[in-house]
Order: sequence, then structure tokens, then C-alpha cells
Amino acid sequence: MKKIITLSMMASVCLMAGGYKIPEQSLNSMALGAAYVAHTTEADTAYFNPANMSFLEESQYVEGGVTLAHLPSNVYSLVDPYSGESKTENILIPDFHYVSAPMGDVRWGVSLIAPAGLTKRWDTSYQKLYAEEFTLKNLELNPSLAYRVNDQFSVAAGVRMVYSEGIVNSDGNDAGIPVKREMKGDTVEFGYNLAMTYKPTSDINLAVTYRSKIDLNEEGQANLYFGGVGQQYDAEVSVPLPAALNIAVSKTWQDRFTLEFDYEKTYWSSYQNLDFNYDRPIQAPLQPIFDFPLARDWKDTDTFRIGATAKMDNRLTAMFGFAIDETPVPDETIGFELPDSDAKIFSMGFRYQQTKQLSWGAAMLYDSKESRTLTPGVAENDVLANGGTFDEGGAFLTTIGIAYEF
Amino acid sequence: MKKIMAGMIMGSLLFFAGCGDLHQPVNEQVDGGEVVVDLDGNTIKQSLLAASFPGVDENTTVCGYKAFKIPYITTDEEGNEVAVSGLMAIPTGICEAFNTIGFSVVSDDHGTIFKNAEAPVVDAETNNAPSGAAIIMTSLSAFVTLEPDYIGFGDSNDHYHPFVLKKSLANATVDFIVAAREFALKNNIRLNGQLYLTGYSEGGFAAMATLQKIEMEHLDINVTLAAPMAGPYDMNTSAFGVLSQPTLVVPSFVADIGYAYAKASHQPLDSVFNEPYGSKLDSLFDGSLDRTEIDPQLTTKTTGDDGLFRQDFHDNFFIDPNQWFRQAVVENSVHAWAPQTRVRLIHCRGDEVIPYTMSLWTRGTMKTIKPTADVEVVPVEDFLGIPYDVGHADCGPIAYGVAAQIFAAERNATIGY
Repeated sequence: MKKIITLSMMASVCLMAGGYKIPEQSLNSMALGAAYVAHTTEADTAYFNPANMSFLEESQYVEGGVTLAHLPSNVYSLVDPYSGESKTENILIPDFHYVSAPMGDVRWGVSLIAPAGLTKRWDTSYQKLYAEEFTLKNLELNPSLAYRVNDQFSVAAGVRMVYSEGIVNSDGNDAGIPVKREMKGDTVEFGYNLAMTYKPTSDINLAVTYRSKIDLNEEGQANLYFGGVGQQYDAEVSVPLPAALNIAVSKTWQDRFTLEFDYEKTYWSSYQNLDFNYDRPIQAPLQPIFDFPLARDWKDTDTFRIGATAKMDNRLTAMFGFAIDETPVPDETIGFELPDSDAKIFSMGFRYQQTKQLSWGAAMLYDSKESRTLTPGVAENDVLANGGTFDEGGAFLTTIGIAYEF
Repeated sequence: MKKIMAGMIMGSLLFFAGCGDLHQPVNEQVDGGEVVVDLDGNTIKQSLLAASFPGVDENTTVCGYKAFKIPYITTDEEGNEVAVSGLMAIPTGICEAFNTIGFSVVSDDHGTIFKNAEAPVVDAETNNAPSGAAIIMTSLSAFVTLEPDYIGFGDSNDHYHPFVLKKSLANATVDFIVAAREFALKNNIRLNGQLYLTGYSEGGFAAMATLQKIEMEHLDINVTLAAPMAGPYDMNTSAFGVLSQPTLVVPSFVADIGYAYAKASHQPLDSVFNEPYGSKLDSLFDGSLDRTEIDPQLTTKTTGDDGLFRQDFHDNFFIDPNQWFRQAVVENSVHAWAPQTRVRLIHCRGDEVIPYTMSLWTRGTMKTIKPTADVEVVPVEDFLGIPYDVGHADCGPIAYGVAAQIFAAERNATIGY
């Protein structure tokens, strides 16, 4: 039972941001489209900008939420039998945050979140050859400590402890290629995060946060089949959880309306290749398909976000967000495991203050992916080298959350 | 609140213990063996077309191919039981229809190898793919093919390989034929009773040794037709030919003969080989190296102080008819007897390693012993209409094609497909 519950806590969703990173990890962040770094007000401050913990009221904060991620299918159009459609996914992703009461100028907090994830499953013949299932699940425990330098300036640092589980299944039999791969691995990796907030005036926040890159070195087993016979290997593959830099500024008017701009640089260029390694040479006919390194050559991305928070009255707060999100995936190395494209993100939500201590709310986010047409002869993937178009995909996210202050 | 935090962190850490191992691959289970290759005919056809395999085009019927590793017991030169392994390949797919009539069996003894990875079972286990002659016999000609690893390879890799020693090779082949028949019975693979013997180079020698054992020991095995290919049937003549030359073309072949014969005759290696070669041989022939890795560690000089063989061993071979090696090569020759079974000696005229005259000499000897013996030489170039002579290495694949045609014609005339 423990495993069933904890598995559901691990994000295995795709494309809430370019690549497989998931910026939104709470009610407020979902409502604001993750334009939520400079002006953070709840327990999720521990994750989005722990330096801001120094500026929260002198209470303890706790918050939990759950997000339903509905991921429509991706449609790849070429000509039959090469066209295909991925499976629709519906996944629940909980989050949890806590901020302690201040201890002098020091304050600590902790978040349990899913900072990245990817699930792409195809049931059509040529897509299954590459990604019958390509899943990356992550769970991060992120304790952090903030130090209030003065009333205007605070710094913070945290430790990132990430448990990651990867599943890679491929099956070429329906495409007339008698190869199959089943792979499962996991790992625990560590990183850090840093944050600082400067408040030049009481209504302006300037913030910078940084999350370090973490290489997810998934280790496990792989069953590789040629024809009707398979062998099991110890296997490993490494994918990066990229470093990210956020620079944000917020301005609050009359203590009722706040506007935040957020620039995020994500260092996806650390994802250079996808290289599966095995404990011994694999079956010779399978080496070109399952062993030779696949170039990825992803690019660093820029994301621009804007979020608005409006206190409608003493109880109701409305939030809106918009973001322009770049894909890190170049045409040359795009694959069926992640047919990513540039996106525009629209979000909205509310928080209702039920009592002085208790609030709750809901948020929705729509991640609108652009269609992506591939020029023939560009992509390295044998099917995508013929061109074709990826349509649809994207994500609809619905979050409910509850917060308690005591 | 502290309890909530503690529970959350503990839950997380417990989960970090891991997600569990992947289940083992789901492979077909059989009684008395293990499936190591299972491919459909179209996949094999496409790979043959990609390789421009002679005689294969889009209209060629190609059977699927399923191969089993079958462990069994045989006996070595000293009469000790040895656990060995063999590969049994059966036609599948559209050729499964022949199962109702029953498959004819080809016992194919493999040629000279040094590296264990090259053994039929080991290669199939490693790559889960067909290779070598079994594709021709099973996928293109719908025979059940039997390929023993021999003693010294596969499951018995820790035993020295009795290179061109007829007793061990024949034992390994005959015992595998028996084991394969039992396996077929247990696994609903119907055999029609036809048995063809073949093999190339060392395998040709082994096939002839097998036929001799079956006939001389009156075993309950009926051989339909034997087609040994390019084997050194007269080891005495072969040894004279090699040792009389000042240089060795392929020193690994000759060294392995001296090594195996010394082991089988309980002769110390330092009485046969000069140093530093004699003390290297155990490691050179332990199955970890292939021929191209072994040859550079030996010399091409036949004898003398810096030659491969000791001068006294070399000289005694020529002057002393009672020398143990001289006697051993005579005892291990398989050319001087009169087979009851039809024998077709397939050989390329251009063979520079085992001369074509070896097959002519073998036929002549057999016909001398028994003029009515049905033994003929089949020159590969003549059979296929190739207008030039073909050497030993290049001859192998096409010689198998000739054997398959001869066997298929016999099957068609007797079984009807």
C-alpha cells in the first residue's frame, strides 16, 4: 500500500514546461503560471523562494494540494503506417509544503514536490518502436534554511534530495522489427538550491533563485528481446534535471493587487545525449537500436512569466498567469518520447480564506503547445527524418489546495 | 505538526529503498532445453536480402528459425563423462506445416574455432540470432539442424578441445543426435527418421568420424546420406604435409593439433613444443581468444631452436613409425574404411588449406577397400558452375549450399517435400 500511495505522489507528467521540468508545485504557483518567485505568501514559499520565508508572518505554515494533470494525446501525422497518436494521460500529483516559525533571524521549511516528470506512451506501430512507454518520475524532498539579513534582505539555501524512477519500453514487433526493450531503473541524487530576496520598498520584491543541475543516473535492469527470446542486463541511463535560474520582480499596489514578472533560464544544454549502458555487450542485432548513444543536443531555454494577484475582499483572492515557454528540443534530435514544442501557458485560480488560519482554493492551467512541422531530412530518428507534423498534446491542469497557519 | 513532518520524511525515505527489480524476460519454456533464438521468416529474409545472400530474393521461401540449447552428456578421449551442449534449430512459420510429415535432420559439425564465443550455442545465447550454416539448412531448406559445440566449447569450455581427435568428436555428435531426438519427442517436434551428416573443415572430419562410429559400432542410427566437406580425413598425410614444410601458414591450427594430441596421449607439452610456446598453449587455447589473436603469439617457423615444434619431436615423427604422434595421427584418420552409407565428399578445387586431393585420396582409399562403396567427390566449383577456384575460407558458405541442395533433393525424392 505504501508503494501505491508514494508512486502516485511522483510526477510522471509531461510538458507542463519545455522539456520535462514541472515548475508549478502548489495552488498559488498553478494559478499564477509559476510567476511566483518574488511574491510568495504561503507555505509553498519553502520551495519557490525560501528567502521569502524570512518575511512571512511569525506563524507556522503548512499547505497541501493535489493536481489532476490531463494530458491530451499527441498526434503525429505523416502517411500510414507511420502516423500515430499517443495515449491520453490522467495523473494525480500531490504536493506538500511547510514553513517553521522563525527562530531569531533563521527560519526553515521543507517541501515534498515533483520537480520534473515525463510520461509518453504510444500504442501505434512505428511510435512504439521508440517509446511504447517513456516515463521519468521524480519526487523531491527539499529542506531549506533562510537567514534574515535585515528587514530588506534575506538569503536562503536548501538541499535537494531527489528520488527518480525511469521506465523505458520499446516494441518494434508491430512495425515488423522483432525487437523489444523493457527497462526500469531508479536512483537517489542530491543537489542544492539558493535564493535571495531584496525588498527596496515595502511593496517591491526583487528575487533571484537558483536550482542546481542533478544528473539522474537511473540504474536498474533491462530486458532486451530479439525475436521471441530476451535477456536481462543490468542497465543504466543518465538524464539531467537541469539547473534553473529565476529572476523575478513583483510590485504590490495598496496591499491588494500584485503583479509579478519572472524570467527563467533553464540550462537544458546539459542534456547532450541519451546513452543506455549495459553490464555486458548486448545482442549484436540490437546494438544499433538500443545501445548506440542518441544525440540530444538540447538548447538552453528562456521562459517569461507574468502573474497577477488580486485580493477581491478580505476572504477571496484571485490569481491569473501567463507564460511564454520555449522548447529545448531541436528538430534534429526530436523523438517520440518527448515531441515537445513551444508553448503558451494560461492560468487562473482563487484562494478563499475560510478562517484566520484556514484557506483553500483551486486553480487551472492550460499549456497550449504549438504544432510542430518537421522538415524532411532533418531529424535523426528514422521515422521523423521523413518529416511530418506533431499536433495537439499540451496539458490541462487542475489543482486544489488547502493551507493552514498556526 | 512534528508528527506530520516525521511521517512525511519517513515515508519518503522508505520509498527511496527502491522500486524493485524488473521481472525476468518471458521466454518460451521447453522440456530438456532452452529457447535461445526465435525469429520469424520475414525477419531472416530481410537480413539475407540486406546482405545480398546468394540465391535469396523477394520470392524465396524463408522459414522462421527457432533454436534450442540442449545440454547433454558425452565422453572424452579418456572415457570420462563430460557435460556438453548443442544447438538444435527447427524451421517455423510457414515451414511448420512440415511438422505433420516430420522433419529431416541435418547433423552439422562446425569448423575450426578457438574462441568459446564462436561456439554455436554460445553465439546463439549471446546474440539470440541465427548464424552460419544453420540458416542455410533450417531457414532456406527446412531441415532440423543439429550443431554440437563439441567438448571444449559451450558448457564444457573448461575442458581442452580434442581438435581433430575422432573419438571425442564422434562421441559429441552421436550423443547429441540421441539427445536431440529425445528432446524432439518431449517437445512435439516430429522427425521423419532421415538423418544427414555434414560439416566443414574440422566439421567435415567430425562428420566422417561420426559416420564411421555409427557404422563400425552398429549404433541404432540410420544415416540417409553423408556429405563431409573439406575435412582432413587422413591425418597422417596431413601431418606429413604440414611438418615437412619449413613454415606454417596458420600456426594456430597446427599448434592446436599438437596441443590436443599431446593432451589426449598424456604427453608433456614441453616434449612437443619449444619455449616460449609450449607454456603458453593452455592459455592460448582456453577459449578466450580467436585465431587472429592466437597466431601473432606463435611463430610461423615449423621447427629448429626458435621454431614451434622441438627439433627432436619433429625429426622423430619422420623417422620413427612408433612415435606416439605418428601412431596417433594414423589412429585418428577417418579415410581408410568402407562406408555402407552413401558419401558425397564436397570440396573446393581451390582449397589451399585442406587440399582438394584429400577428398580424392579419401574416395580412392574407400573404393579400394570396397569397390562398391557409394563414395563420390563433389567439386563445389563444378556443381555451381563457378568458373574459378575457390579457397578454403570462401568455400565454406557455398559448400553448405551444395550440401543443402543434395540433401533436399534426396528428401524430395523420398519424403516428398
